[in-house]
Amino acid sequence: MSSGIVATLARSYASSTPQRLKAIDAYMAFCVAVGVLQLAYCVLAGTFPYNAFLAGFGSAVGCFVFAASLRIKTDPRNARQFGGAPEAAFAEFVFCHIALHFVVSHFLG
Amino acid sequence: MRLSASLAALAASLAALAAARSAAGDRLLVVADDAAQYSDLLAALARRGFAVDVRAAANTSVALSEDGRRLYDHAALLAPAAKRVGAGLTAQAFVRFVNDGGNLLVAASSAASDLHRALAAQFGAEFARPGSRVVDHQARNATADHATVAAAIARPAAAAPILSPDLRGPVYFRGIAHRCDPANPLLTPVLTAARSTYSTPLADPPLAGRALALVSVLQTRRNARVAISGSADLFSDALAPTNRRFVRDLLQWTFQEKAVLRETAHSHRLAGAAAADAAAAVTAATHQPEHYRIGNDIVYDIALSVYHDDAWHPYVADDVQFEAIMLDPYLRLTLNRTRAKDTATATATATASATYRGRFKLPDRYGTFTFRVNYKRTGYSNVDVRDTVAIWPLRHDEYPRFLTAAYPYYVGSLVMVLGFLALCAVWLWSADPAALANNHHHPAQPPNDNADDDAAAAAAAAAKSKSKPSKSKQKQKQKSS
Repeated sequence: MSSGIVATLARSYASSTPQRLKAIDAYMAFCVAVGVLQLAYCVLAGTFPYNAFLAGFGSAVGCFVFAASLRIKTDPRNARQFGGAPEAAFAEFVFCHIALHFVVSHFLG
Repeated sequence: MRLSASLAALAASLAALAAARSAAGDRLLVVADDAAQYSDLLAALARRGFAVDVRAAANTSVALSEDGRRLYDHAALLAPAAKRVGAGLTAQAFVRFVNDGGNLLVAASSAASDLHRALAAQFGAEFARPGSRVVDHQARNATADHATVAAAIARPAAAAPILSPDLRGPVYFRGIAHRCDPANPLLTPVLTAARSTYSTPLADPPLAGRALALVSVLQTRRNARVAISGSADLFSDALAPTNRRFVRDLLQWTFQEKAVLRETAHSHRLAGAAAADAAAAVTAATHQPEHYRIGNDIVYDIALSVYHDDAWHPYVADDVQFEAIMLDPYLRLTLNRTRAKDTATATATATASATYRGRFKLPDRYGTFTFRVNYKRTGYSNVDVRDTVAIWPLRHDEYPRFLTAAYPYYVGSLVMVLGFLALCAVWLWSADPAALANNHHHPAQPPNDNADDDAAAAAAAAAKSKSKPSKSKQKQKQKSS
């Protein structure tokens, strides 16, 4: 029964999600993986270069948030709510990323 | 005055040839009413190079200082019954003399006056009640009154430098006992009584046995030395045959002819290469920074020498400690003697010293620190050497970079950049053709009030067409082929 639900969900996702949103979803999963790995390392090895941890972990979190934002804005079902062109949302996404990675590299020590 | 000065110079030149001399100076005032009684002692002192100035207590010209400067380096108060000395010298005048660095011997007797009592009390020794004397019916010499007692040489382990280790009793003592103030840690009894000795008339509680001190010594924080004896007869010719060795040892210590400790040089510097360490002479403070960074490796050197037998010798000990203090000691380490530096003994005996060295890492704490060697051992002069050193935090560009522990974070943030670039690439080059077509048409449409609605409709249409992306891609491929 449960496997049936999961299979239905997967099929529905695969068939009804636009390619770009799938790419964003994969990217968000990647962000979570990188963040969790860094957090686990910090728990195990200690917080010594704390600034480096904050930079690395913050980078993962920030990327996740920007990706979520991009996904919301470019999802065709939300087009009525946001309206702007997906290219504009993508430009914002790129700008925010450049700013984020600038701060992260600065903070990395 | 001039005659005595030239005599003193003569005595000094003779003494340089002959025997030990004081490290503190030669000028000695002896206040004695009956100097003939101490001829043996006075002759010995003159032989040892002292410019002995014997004055009667009643002599009104006796003065310890003139125009605020000491006239003598040492003073011996061998007038046990004198009620006043000179033109009314008070106990405070003698205390001032000691505070100025003068050494003092106070010898009293059963007839000790208020001056003696007040003076001894200033140094923490409390004489027994007036008129009392020390009596022993067993440990004594052959006199009939049992009041010349055979005293025991006290050897507190920490006070070894005061009396020679080979000094043996008995020492005969005839006079008044005193009690050492337990609150004064500087006062050390060096001659104590046998168990059977007591002070009569009896007080309550009785002063007897081990509680009773006969001769005590004290060294002030400024390295002036004081000896307090309840007996002037101890120093007299009558008891000299037995007491001579003890008196010599006691006065050699009191008048700074031995156990005088001094620091000849000290330095601190950054620990460098071994060659640089070897080259840096401890005497020259060539490169002595006023500040360091936290965590710096420092080398601290101090050279100590001890005076005895008319010369300075290397001071050998294993308990020289160094402290780095900012309110509390952050570091305390025992310095080790470096053999290489002691070659100074071969070249110049005048500066013979033993060098002690410590290597340490500064604590992870910045502020104004004091580097201090505070060496205080009973019997030896106090050595207290301090340097104020600023310890700075790291500058913004001095922190360590590229830490091994931080590599996962570097990799993590780099991977996020690469992921971002990958997403950009996917986004830009894998757009659905339907959506692309839609976007190409969009700018060509005339603007109207319901543009938002149109866009929404177009997006919905695009979404519908995207519901079968695989098919449309296949079609595209077929077309292109």
